[in-house]
This record gives sequence, C-alpha cells and structure tokens, in this order.
Amino acid sequence: MIPLEWMPPLMFGGLIVIMLIGYPVAFSLSALGLMFGFLSIYLGFFNFNFLQAIPGRIFGSILSNELLLAIPFFTFMGAILEKCGLAEDMLDSMGQLFGPVRGGIGYSVIIVGFILGAITGTVAAQVIAMALISLPVMMRYKYNMRYATGVLAASGTITQLVPPSLVLVVLADQLGRSVGDMYLGAWGPSLLQIALFMLFTFLVSVVKPNWVPAIPRDELSLRGWELWKKCLWGIIPAAVLIFLVLGTLLLGLATPTEGGAMGSIGAIVLAAIRHPSLGKPGKRIALIGLIAAGVAAIIGVWAFKSVPFKVAIAVLYLVVAYLCIRAAAIPDLRKLIVAAYEATMRLTAMVIFILIGSTCFSIVFQGVDGGRWLEHLLTSLPGGAWGFLIFVNVFVFFIAFFLDFFEIVFIIVPLLAPIAKTLLTPIVGEDAALIWFGVMLCVNLQTSFMHPPFGFALFYLRGVAPKEVKSSDIYWGAIPWVFLQLILVALVVAFPKQVTMFLDTPVAYDLDKVKIEVPAIGEPEIPTPGQGAPAKSGDPLQDLLNKQEETDEKAGKALEDAFKK
Amino acid sequence: MRALLTLSRAIDALNERLGRVANWMILIACVISAANAMIRYAFDISSNAWLEIQWYLFAGVVMLGASYTLQRNEHVRVDILYTQLPERGKEWLDLVGTAVFLIPSCLLIGWLSWPFFYESWHIQEHSGNAGGLLRWPVKILVPVGFALLALQGVSEIIKRAAALRGYVRLESHYERPVQ
Repeated sequence: MIPLEWMPPLMFGGLIVIMLIGYPVAFSLSALGLMFGFLSIYLGFFNFNFLQAIPGRIFGSILSNELLLAIPFFTFMGAILEKCGLAEDMLDSMGQLFGPVRGGIGYSVIIVGFILGAITGTVAAQVIAMALISLPVMMRYKYNMRYATGVLAASGTITQLVPPSLVLVVLADQLGRSVGDMYLGAWGPSLLQIALFMLFTFLVSVVKPNWVPAIPRDELSLRGWELWKKCLWGIIPAAVLIFLVLGTLLLGLATPTEGGAMGSIGAIVLAAIRHPSLGKPGKRIALIGLIAAGVAAIIGVWAFKSVPFKVAIAVLYLVVAYLCIRAAAIPDLRKLIVAAYEATMRLTAMVIFILIGSTCFSIVFQGVDGGRWLEHLLTSLPGGAWGFLIFVNVFVFFIAFFLDFFEIVFIIVPLLAPIAKTLLTPIVGEDAALIWFGVMLCVNLQTSFMHPPFGFALFYLRGVAPKEVKSSDIYWGAIPWVFLQLILVALVVAFPKQVTMFLDTPVAYDLDKVKIEVPAIGEPEIPTPGQGAPAKSGDPLQDLLNKQEETDEKAGKALEDAFKK
Repeated sequence: MRALLTLSRAIDALNERLGRVANWMILIACVISAANAMIRYAFDISSNAWLEIQWYLFAGVVMLGASYTLQRNEHVRVDILYTQLPERGKEWLDLVGTAVFLIPSCLLIGWLSWPFFYESWHIQEHSGNAGGLLRWPVKILVPVGFALLALQGVSEIIKRAAALRGYVRLESHYERPVQ
C-alpha cells in the first residue's frame, strides 16, 4: 500500500524517467498520467469518474481555446517571411549603413534581429535567414568566427522575448494572464537585451579591434540616396507588418490570434509584391492598394467609418485579396506557401499534443495533491521568495538543456504558477506578479536555444554555415552570449520595475478589453468585439464597461473611447 | 506478415489523406480569422459563427493531423538517449513504446471522450452564443482523433516489427521539429 504523500514524488520521478526513454513526449506523458490515475483509483485516492475530467479539459481548455490558434498563425507567418527575402534586404542595407564602423555588421545583425523579432516569433526563420546573408559577409571581412556565430545565434533568439513572441502567448495562456499585459511587460527586458548585446559588441570592438574590423568605405556597393532607399524598402514593409500584428492588438482592434492571421496574410502579400513575376499590372494594382490605405488613413482621422473611408478600405481589401490570389498563381510562391502550411500543420498537432499529454499528467498530479506537495517543497526553501526565484531559474536553466520551451511551459509552468503567485504578490502586487514571473521565465528560456551542444539556434546555424566554420567555433561562440542572457535574467529578477512600469500606464485599460476576448479556461464564450456597444445586458463587454465606469470613471471612459473606434 | 503490411499501408494512406485535410484547415482558418478581423474593423459586421468556426478548424487540425504527424515521426522526443541507440534499438523502443504508451492511452482517452460527444449529439447541443454553431461536429473529433492515432499506432507497430524481422527497410529517421 502506497500512502498518498508518496504519490507526487513518485509521479515526478516517473516523469523524469519516462521522458528520458525517448519515446515521443506527448504520449509518454499521457500514458504516465493515466497509469498513475489507475493506480490511484486502485488505492482509493479518487474514483473512476475523476478521469472524466480529461476529455472535458482537452475540449474545454485546449481545442476550444482561441488563443492557442495563435501558434499555427505565427508559425505560418514565420515560415513565409523566412523565404520572402525581407531579412536579406534589411541585413544588406543595414550592414552597409553600419559597416564602416567597427563591429558594424554585428550591430546590424542585432538591430535586424530585433525588427524581425517584432514581426514574428520563430527562431528558426530568423537564424537561418540572417546566417545565410551575414555570415559570408563577416567571413569575408575577417570577423572573428566565434563572435560572428555567437552574435547570429543570439540575435536569432531575440525574437523569443520581443512581442509578439509565441513564447509569451503560450506563457500568458498557461499563467492565465492577458497576452497584451504579457507583451507590455516584455518590452523593458527586450530593450535592455538589445542594449546589452550592443554594449558587448562595443566592448569587443574596443578590447579586440581586429575581431570586428570595419569595412573600408570604398568597398560598399551602395552610397547616399541609393543606400537609404534600400533601407526604407526593407523597413517600411516591416513596419506595416509590425502594425498588423502588434499595433492592432495595442489599439484593441484585434485579438493576438487575429493579429497573427493578419500578419500571415500580410506576409503573403509582401512576398507577392516582392516577387519579380508579379509584372507591371500587378505592381500597379499593389500601388492602388497602397494609395487606398493612405487615403483611408487620412479620412479616418476626420471622418472615421464614414462612407468614403469604407470605400477606401474596401479598395484596399480587394487589392489584398487580388495579391493573395496572384501569389497562389505564381508557381514558386505557391510552393512556398504550401510547404509553409504543411509544416505548420504538423508542428501545431505536435505542440498541442504535448499540451494534451501534460494535461493528463497534471489532472492526476493535482488529484493526488501534487500541487500542495510542490508548494510545500518550494515555499520552505531558504530565502523565501528570492530563494524560490533563484531555485526556479537555475532549475529551468538546466532543464532547458533537455526540453524545449513548449514542453517546459506546458509541463512545468502550470505547477509553478500558483506558488509564484503567492510568493511574488507581496513584492510587485497581485496583478503584476505572474507577468513578472512569466517574462523572467521567457528570458531564461531564451538560453535553451543557445546551450551547446543541443541549442536549436546553434543547430540551425550549423545547418546553414559554410564548411569552413568549425562546430567548436559555433559552440564556444555561443557561451559569452549565454552569460549575457544570464545577466539579463538576474537583472529581471533584481529589478522587477522594468517589467511592471509598462503595466501601470493607462494603455493597460484598453487591453482589458482584449483580456475578455480570450477566455483561457472552460467553455469559451466568444464575445463579438467591435460591434459598437449594444446596450443589451449579458454582453460581457458591456458588463466590463459598466464595471469599469463604476470603479474608475476615467478608465471606463478610456475603454469606451477605445471601444468605439 | 504480408497481410499486415497491406493493412499498415491502408492505415497510412487514410491518415495521409486526413493530414492533407488538416493542412487545408490551417489555411482556411487563417484566411477566415484575418478576413473576420478586417471586415469587423471596417464594416462592423461580425458573427459568432465565424468566430467559432476558427477554433472548430483548429480542433480539426489537431485531431486529424496528429496521426499523420506520428506517421512522419515528427512528435518531439527527448532525444539524448534516443539518438545514441542503434537502428534496431530505435525500432524496438518505438515498437514497445507504441504498444505500451500510445495505443492504450489513446484508446482510453478516446473511450472517455465518447459520452462527451454522445450527450452533445443526443441533446443537439448548440453553442451558448447567439448565432453559434452546433457542438457535436467538433466534439466527435476528439474520440475520432484518438481512434485514428491508435490506428496509426497499429500501423507503426507492424512496420517496426516487419523491419526488425527483415521484411522491409524502414526510414525511421528522426529530427527535432523546427520551431
């Protein structure tokens, strides 16, 4: 007879063993959960009806979770952007802009990494695209190989932290916070990260100038206006995509999921516009769309939703639809899109099945009081909340050698969330506690892409780097950047203000609107946002509106304004 | 053995077809979601049915696509020990793992989720939102998806067993999925 207190540690041990076997994680986890479920039924800890919770959870909080739809959309978008040449153009022009400075190509890689990161959220796309362009350039100008590979891998992982990162979406879902707040919280650390990377590059250029030589000016192919034109040609489409994905969320026009979908369509349109076989008439139509967008923006300032505005927007939408159809008709673009959504389908099924497996595990784990066991274990650590944070970060850092971020977020985070909430609330307040915790984990998880020898970023880099680049250079090159990342983790732990200060701004009120659009658990009630404000009761948006006005006149006003837009 | 291999091929073909359906669902969901947001923004037209169809499609992607993903060996593993194993070792591990972990758990979850669907079908459950969709078509995806996975598991076992006995050569190449 096994006493109840033994079950959680047994399950936890079983988790480690069963994952190490190497059978697909999703099915190992569900099998483990169910095995312990039957054992518990046999030992009388709960009865068979308890397991009925499993299909309910699979349906209620996984399949019908609108937020998880963001996973395929962002993946799809990343897969298209990777191949549409945007990264190439930006790197080429930025490289020429910064090239004459010592370490210039390093700076350009970091900046482009940040911009690409603000468009989409997949590391693979970024590392591959940037390495293909910048690595040969850095090799030609005799950059130190370790610095070159390190800066590429590190800049590729920036996308994990910069909104609209997929990690933040998944973390928000598992922590039960709104994605908008999570994004706001991540801005501080992601800017700090860029600063750290640039500072490191600067220090290298001071201490070891011959590691990061400047490009002689007369070797640049573009100068003056030509160069600026090329820079803009890369940056303007990037800005449009950033607006589609992030801007619409911040303005309360779309949910994060819809932002991802619009970003995907935007990426297809972008790929079509940039494709040479679009031809003159196609380009002209694209220009009409651009003009219509401009006109709509101008009319929108004075007469929002007037008839001319709607006409201009309708023209724009027709152009978008036309370009999508053209994209499907161009053979190699079509091939690209098909390959992108096929890969996206398999990745989505794989990721969601990890979540299904971990749900089986965690239902049974909670059923045998595992939550309380873990809480007892972690709250009795020396140092209270700080001890907990240090322990969790060290634990996640090491476990990230073996597990991907999806596995960590789905398996570990739900177990830690309630404890984190209890312990961290006294430090930063209840609302910010889990945001802070989530952003911290996100920064920490970035290192999992750079750990030699399993890190994904290094793995992709190895895949596209020329043969002259030694694997040992890639591995050693990554190490200083892993340390920079750890410094950033320490900074986030020590100064929660950088996360929470963005949350205190009034913008957060607009985001409450988004919060209720994304029900995390249970039968989804999907409200229809943006339909004006019907005064009928029972509408959750209206309820929120009323509540806001009761509690905070000003905030309610702000929400209403945002809502009426 | 030959009969079993035929069965395995039939299962593979079925799940590949469904995988192709799931592929299309991704694209359709994406277009619907973007169009829905764009039209709602400019013309204030929206309906709960269009919002719900998005996650119906998502459920379809996951439940119909998982078995094809298994066929392609693209469910992620912790591969520290796995990559060290010789080819035969990998085949044994997959064979035993599928028989002990995958098939029983999929059958059990599929069985647990059947009443979940049946009830919804019986009472013709509709979504609670105005203009929402009928619920059972999405709820039936859960038992069907797990049954398909168990079926694909049978096919994988047949292929591994045939490879171990030297009937066929198996391309059991595993690569960590790109993300």
